[in-house]
Amino acid sequence: MHNKLHFIDVLGRTTGAHRKQDPDSFEYTLPAEITSIYPLTASEKLYQIQIIDPELRNRFSFKPGQFVMLELPGIGEAPFSISSSPVRRGDLELCIRAVGNFTNFLAKMERGAKVGITGPFGTHFPLEKMQGNDILLIGGGLGIVPLRSPLLAVLENRSRYGRVDIMYGAKSPMELLFTYQYEEWRRFDITLGITVDKADKGWKGRTGLITELLQERIKQTTSLRENTYAIVCGPPVMFHFVCKMLTEAGLPMQKMFVSLERRMHCGRGKCCRCNIGSTYTCLDGPVFDYWSVMNLKEAI
Amino acid sequence: MIFKVFKNQELARLHELLAVNIVVGPVAKGNDRNGKPLYDFDVVYDFNELALDYTQTVHSPKRFVLPYQETLSTFAVNRKDWEKHVDFNVYRPLVFFGMHACDINALNKLDLVLAQSTYPNPYYMGKRKNLFIIGIDCKPEPQCFCRSMGTDSAIHGFDVFLTDLGGKYFAEILSATAFDLLGQISCQDPSAKDLALYKQATNGKNKHYTAQVETSDLTKILDLEFESPAWDYWGEKCLSCGTCANVCPTCYCYGVEEHVDLDLQHASKTKSLHSCNLIDFAKVAGGHNFRPTSASRLKYRYYHKHRGFVEAFEESLCVGCGRCGTACLADITPPEVIASVRGKE
Amino acid sequence: MSEQLSYLGVPLARPKVGFFELSSCEGCQLQLLNNEATLLDFLNLVEIVNFREGMSERADTYDIAFVEGSVTRKDEITRLTEIRRNAKILVALGSCACFGGVNQLKNRFRDLEWVKKEVYGDFPIETMEVHPLADFVQVDLSIFGCPIKKEEVERIVTDLVVGKTVRHPEYPVCMECKANENICLFELGEPCLGPVTRAGCDAWCPSNRRGCWGCRGPAETANLTELEKIMHTYGFDSETILDRLECFGGFASFADTLRPKNIAELSSLPAQTKLIPSGCKKVPARRKKP
Repeated sequence: MHNKLHFIDVLGRTTGAHRKQDPDSFEYTLPAEITSIYPLTASEKLYQIQIIDPELRNRFSFKPGQFVMLELPGIGEAPFSISSSPVRRGDLELCIRAVGNFTNFLAKMERGAKVGITGPFGTHFPLEKMQGNDILLIGGGLGIVPLRSPLLAVLENRSRYGRVDIMYGAKSPMELLFTYQYEEWRRFDITLGITVDKADKGWKGRTGLITELLQERIKQTTSLRENTYAIVCGPPVMFHFVCKMLTEAGLPMQKMFVSLERRMHCGRGKCCRCNIGSTYTCLDGPVFDYWSVMNLKEAI
Repeated sequence: MIFKVFKNQELARLHELLAVNIVVGPVAKGNDRNGKPLYDFDVVYDFNELALDYTQTVHSPKRFVLPYQETLSTFAVNRKDWEKHVDFNVYRPLVFFGMHACDINALNKLDLVLAQSTYPNPYYMGKRKNLFIIGIDCKPEPQCFCRSMGTDSAIHGFDVFLTDLGGKYFAEILSATAFDLLGQISCQDPSAKDLALYKQATNGKNKHYTAQVETSDLTKILDLEFESPAWDYWGEKCLSCGTCANVCPTCYCYGVEEHVDLDLQHASKTKSLHSCNLIDFAKVAGGHNFRPTSASRLKYRYYHKHRGFVEAFEESLCVGCGRCGTACLADITPPEVIASVRGKE
Repeated sequence: MSEQLSYLGVPLARPKVGFFELSSCEGCQLQLLNNEATLLDFLNLVEIVNFREGMSERADTYDIAFVEGSVTRKDEITRLTEIRRNAKILVALGSCACFGGVNQLKNRFRDLEWVKKEVYGDFPIETMEVHPLADFVQVDLSIFGCPIKKEEVERIVTDLVVGKTVRHPEYPVCMECKANENICLFELGEPCLGPVTRAGCDAWCPSNRRGCWGCRGPAETANLTELEKIMHTYGFDSETILDRLECFGGFASFADTLRPKNIAELSSLPAQTKLIPSGCKKVPARRKKP
């Protein structure tokens, strides 16, 4: 009977292995708890989600721009960009719009509910490189969600960066996210420009496209080439126009960063669902510089 | 590498030695409507069931490492609380008796993305590492273009590879387990005559290829021909049925679904192999579809196989087995598609 | 029974459910009773208030009405309208309710009086052309199949209770057929609608070496033009294709375009080989909304 092949247990060697290389952690979900829920608009809520185990929570580290997969047993698993500051580690804030099966069920859950977290996954905005430079944060609609994490990280180290501009556009005043934080952000010597496509009765701010805001900002400086970085998040149409405008203003493509959104089933470069052309949004993205996006077929 | 030769009748003895394990191999599955024999991989209990002179199996050996459907995890739900149970579904080694070079190369390619990249997939790895593979030489069929893809011979990824010299098998031995096994049957070192016969067999095989794909500069040409009308031509024919991906030995894309049990106390997470040709492949929550047309999806399949994978791993994801073209009812074959995109139809 | 249902801490309502049948074989409802292993869990999840095949009590308010069968009589329209009025969600259960099903085959004949005579002889029954439910009322959800798959209904009901949107596979049967490692029936010389029919049945028929007849209707992308070519390449005539496409009614609009070609093909045959008696000549579909 000695020809019975020896069973090779390739698994069960977790100790010390890096999460990205460790097969055992592939399907491992960190148990987490919804610690609070703030409704932001009619359809978006800000969820504070905390990894339950304090040690794992502290060990959890991410960089602005990365995302996590959130899991609800039997309901599904879906990717969400992290909206909180990286210093909060495994005490995450996720801003989620109720739009599909998963998010609609999540919207019904209450404080104290248990969810699963895996990640963080993907690339991030290179804030280290941006130090000493001016930063343009340009967000349209839900695009403010992945912008909030780099923004908070910049605010925490405000003195390391030059001029910081936020340009944010939404369809209507009712759809503006994080309105309660605008005053706080402004206190950090930040130029915050907000515009809506369609004003309502009480709206005193500006109405129009985000590109108009950007045009004004560009006119204030002769060239963006020397010391500026831009982070652009929003619907593909928006960043197409914004990035074009920035390019014309002299900003090199490798200094512009965008965050893309695709369908994902694994987050680990295996299921192929998020591929653009043949690039994995989950591994090579979601944060790309504009040069890479230009080279991706069907990205915009 | 260590080479041995043994008489053909010793093969039954080799099977007998391995039969304490589960053995999978090519078996005859009747004839098609034109009387052509059909083959597929199946569990084999008797050496005589093995059809080692098989042409090509209808399905690839993929399912033994990447099942079409697999439960990734289950959940026990108790009111607000829940627990996740993960099972990689790897239980025992499997002997693969008689795999052609293209299929061995297909597994090697799957290894690149599923086992050797970041986030190695344990469901795949466990099954792959527990395969004992006996490779066997083949005669090129009309649909085979493995030679174009450089996958007509297997260099690694098997335990022992057999070439029929007529009455004798020429064995390339790659693993200690295989060496030990061959030690238990009557084996000799190859003579000068065996070597000559082996070279003759290899040369003879190379003359039989009819289909081919021109791969020079293919990555660039695919990029340049992104808007080629050829894609619309093939897209119009495409049934968007996913058959090509399902018979492909290297297609690994999948979808994950979770289900709540009827008792509301259990749930499961299931992975099913998907296909980029299916309409919902790139649909996101909210309904937007990044590839709504058949042509865009078919194009993406070729981009992934012949461009994206090359960029990532320096080799194509296609092994040129031709199964997709054979199985496609609309007669969409890679040699024709690529030739039309290259503009030399 | 009275305990509040919940999932992951989210309270769920136990829906009141009614099952109804119009013109049908009631086989779909029978499917539901057909699995003792999960029946109790199923009954815990919903409150069945109307199910003629399973119980004698009945009530007239319900959250979900499952309606089996097609509409073939005037009184069924009234009944269906009433069910619609009482139900929050109306589910078309099975191919008859979704597309007219096997019943709608009679719509192929020009002379319905002739059909009636053939079927009922001297005991005529007041019937009309066959219609799917959606021709008269708003249908919120369709469960395809002839018959439906019990597992699928259970999953759909669980999804409804939990609040998930019910989604059907958008791809064709081929996908599931290959996953069952079948050899393509075309290769074995048999016609099959697998390449154009909505999956979800786990390739029930092809796995048993029977070509698909399209009981679940078209997939989200159904390349029927190509299928027609394929059928001809594999030696099947328009008659064979039409027979399949018309069987359950899901492909009605494509069958309408194919039918004139078929008539042309048939009329080119010598008279004695014509398959259809002259009194019941196939005609382009005349199904119209009442």
